[in-house]
Amino acid sequence: MSVDFLHPGEGGAIDTSVPALELRGIDKRFPGVVALDNVDFSLEPGKIHALMGENGAGKSTLIKIMAGVYGKDAGTIRMRGHEVDIKSPRDSLKEGIKVVFQEIALISEFTVAENIFLEGYPTGRAGSIDWKKIRADSAALFNRIGFNVDPAARTGSLPVSQQQMVEIARALAHEARVVVMDEPTSSLTPNEVSLLFTVIRRLASLGIAVVYVSHKLDEVFEIADTVTVLRDGRHISTRPIGEHTNDTLIQDMIGRRIDNLFPRQRGPAGSRVALSVENLSTAKKLSDVSFEARAGEVLGFFGLMGAGRTELAKAIVGYDPITAGTITVDGSRLVPHDTRTGVKLGIGLLTEDRKSEGLMGELPVYQNASLASLGAFARLGFVDKAKEHKAVQDYVDRFRIKTPSLFQQVKNLSGGNQQKVLIARWLMRGLKVIVVDEPTRGIDVGAKSEIFALIDRLAGEGLAVVMMTSEMPELLGLADRIAVMCEGRLTVIMSREEATQEKILNAAIG
Amino acid sequence: MSFAATAPAKAQPSMLVRLVARQELALLVCLILVLAFFSFTVENFFSVRNLTNVLGQASLPLIAGIGCAIVFISGEVDISIGSLVATIALPLIIIMNDTNSLWLGIGGALLFGLIIGVVNGYLTAYAGINSLIVTLGTMFIMRGGVYLYTGQRAIPDDASLDSFIALSDGRLFNTIPYSAVIAIVLLGAFAYMMQHRPFGRQIYAVGGNQEVARLAGYDVRRVKFICFIISSLLATVAGIILAARVGSAQHTAGLNFEFQVVAATVLGGVSLAGGIGSLTGMALGVLILQFLSNGLRGLGLPTEWQLVITGMIIIAAVAFDEAKRRRANGG
Repeated sequence: MSVDFLHPGEGGAIDTSVPALELRGIDKRFPGVVALDNVDFSLEPGKIHALMGENGAGKSTLIKIMAGVYGKDAGTIRMRGHEVDIKSPRDSLKEGIKVVFQEIALISEFTVAENIFLEGYPTGRAGSIDWKKIRADSAALFNRIGFNVDPAARTGSLPVSQQQMVEIARALAHEARVVVMDEPTSSLTPNEVSLLFTVIRRLASLGIAVVYVSHKLDEVFEIADTVTVLRDGRHISTRPIGEHTNDTLIQDMIGRRIDNLFPRQRGPAGSRVALSVENLSTAKKLSDVSFEARAGEVLGFFGLMGAGRTELAKAIVGYDPITAGTITVDGSRLVPHDTRTGVKLGIGLLTEDRKSEGLMGELPVYQNASLASLGAFARLGFVDKAKEHKAVQDYVDRFRIKTPSLFQQVKNLSGGNQQKVLIARWLMRGLKVIVVDEPTRGIDVGAKSEIFALIDRLAGEGLAVVMMTSEMPELLGLADRIAVMCEGRLTVIMSREEATQEKILNAAIG
Repeated sequence: MSFAATAPAKAQPSMLVRLVARQELALLVCLILVLAFFSFTVENFFSVRNLTNVLGQASLPLIAGIGCAIVFISGEVDISIGSLVATIALPLIIIMNDTNSLWLGIGGALLFGLIIGVVNGYLTAYAGINSLIVTLGTMFIMRGGVYLYTGQRAIPDDASLDSFIALSDGRLFNTIPYSAVIAIVLLGAFAYMMQHRPFGRQIYAVGGNQEVARLAGYDVRRVKFICFIISSLLATVAGIILAARVGSAQHTAGLNFEFQVVAATVLGGVSLAGGIGSLTGMALGVLILQFLSNGLRGLGLPTEWQLVITGMIIIAAVAFDEAKRRRANGG
């Protein structure tokens, strides 16, 4: 059954004998990572199907395969029983699969009405665009779903939550069989959420299969008929929501994992406070965050997507502006929004995005490593190359950085070795506090334990390590204390001993 | 289930339309100021003869500017148009000299332009090479090719076809140069395409946000590919008219023409970043620069000063635009 939200037909009985969309045995690999491993996923017409899992469980990859953004490596996709070949977003749209992505996918210079019909403009005489129909139909659509926004407004001028509603409305403007919503409520107000739920139920009543991706348990219990849980790229369970409780759902999401993958070498943390953050707030995300990190400890910050970890990392090293609060590094106040004083005081950031914010890929290993400490090798304004090379070689040996030479372009190194080069950059500068943001993102499993060993060693050498992570094993394996964030706030700080996966996830869900 | 009834939104012009309208209005005011200033200071500036002459001169950058603006809006650049203008005179003049047929000559020139557009478009859209580099490359290759082929001597138009010469000095109703008529017709057609045809909106979408355009099911590469072909074909049309004016194929034809066009396009509010600007704005940019240059010459100011003043105006205009946009998005 295919339904046009604007012009719903007679709405007879929904034929549920054949799945609206059926994915079977889907595999997807990225270099060094198995993102999806033999995943089955089947959608009934007229049902709301929640897709859950921790960060990195494979939800996004699965959605992107449905949307035609990624191709699958193996498996079959069937629409109403017929095998289809989805190679591009266009193929997916043609099959009636509408995906509302979390990131706003609208042209901000266009009007709201034009964005609604971006996938296919209604045309009139001789193929010219029928602007009157676009305006009228989008007004009618908004009216139907009770969404109060001016279709003639410039999209970029709307607040994010309204843009998200425009995206959702767009999925309804054309014939759809499957509507996928990826964390649709992440920037919506409570009013808009209830509006959205009304719309979703209405979609289902029209026979559309809805996929609802979320990590908010209460929402899933409120809206979903069925829940599928993914973990580490594998299908774990598909059950009617009635069979689940909060606990069983969390259990499925985190599974039973061995906590101590990484033998701890370092001694206990010291008592000297190396970093102290008080009442920190930023314009966009953080609100009233306070904590201390001691020399020799790893303080792990956990949070789900959008919790504000990266924002916190960037604020405390002086990279981003703040609106309130103080940051004290080793007894001295850091000037916010000024990375030079941060570096001078001895706080450095190991960024999540190595390629664009950390490394200069075309430059050799030694230049990448010495970047922050050229002053130390300079004589009369010229860099003493011999001294520089010797210092870098020292770190290459100590960290066992695998590179053919100091002169190798850093882009040719593996992810793990690139990460080590960055760590060397900061250590060479004589750091007291190092902030690491997702230190093992995009690093294959084998190299991960090496990075863990390195972080363990950094703390062992007396640095305070502030680690932002979305990976539970990393957090439980490395941290002395665990801080959990949710929507820009710090919800709890607990010691490693009192922490359990359930406690952490509960605090992260808020 | 109830859906809150809201008053249907009034069908007013969109914010974007209003914004662009204001931008174009500002340009129009500038143009009128330029016209007014020189009407008072330069004798015979505001005469039908002078105004239509300038319009004739403006027709080349207007025609090529359509393509330049379209490529900009798609998020790419094309700076090969100046060399293309010089190069297509070769097939044009040679074929006309051999066959005595204007249409065969024009056909040959358009075919050549099409090939260049395909090369630029393929290398940029499908091979993924930066369009500035690609068109810089084809710009040098074509210019060098013309030097080599002509041995730096002009190849005269021996056929001297009346219809060809009319392209240069013919006037509609004895007033408006044919070249200006061609420019206005092309401008109207492409402006209509950009605002009212799905393909035109696809160009804006691709330049506005490539990833979003892809998710909306657009073939981003194909859209860009076609934009380069449009640009080369329009530069070819400009080159044919130029060849008619100089009556030969010359190695120095269209030198710096690409920068003249880029300058006017940018002045007209078309953003190099893609997705922003209009052909109307580009046309006003061309006219402002053309009348300015004509008026300054009338005042007896040397060409050197015209260059300096043009440069300052472009930077000031773009800085003004940028400030305005920042305020609009500043939130």
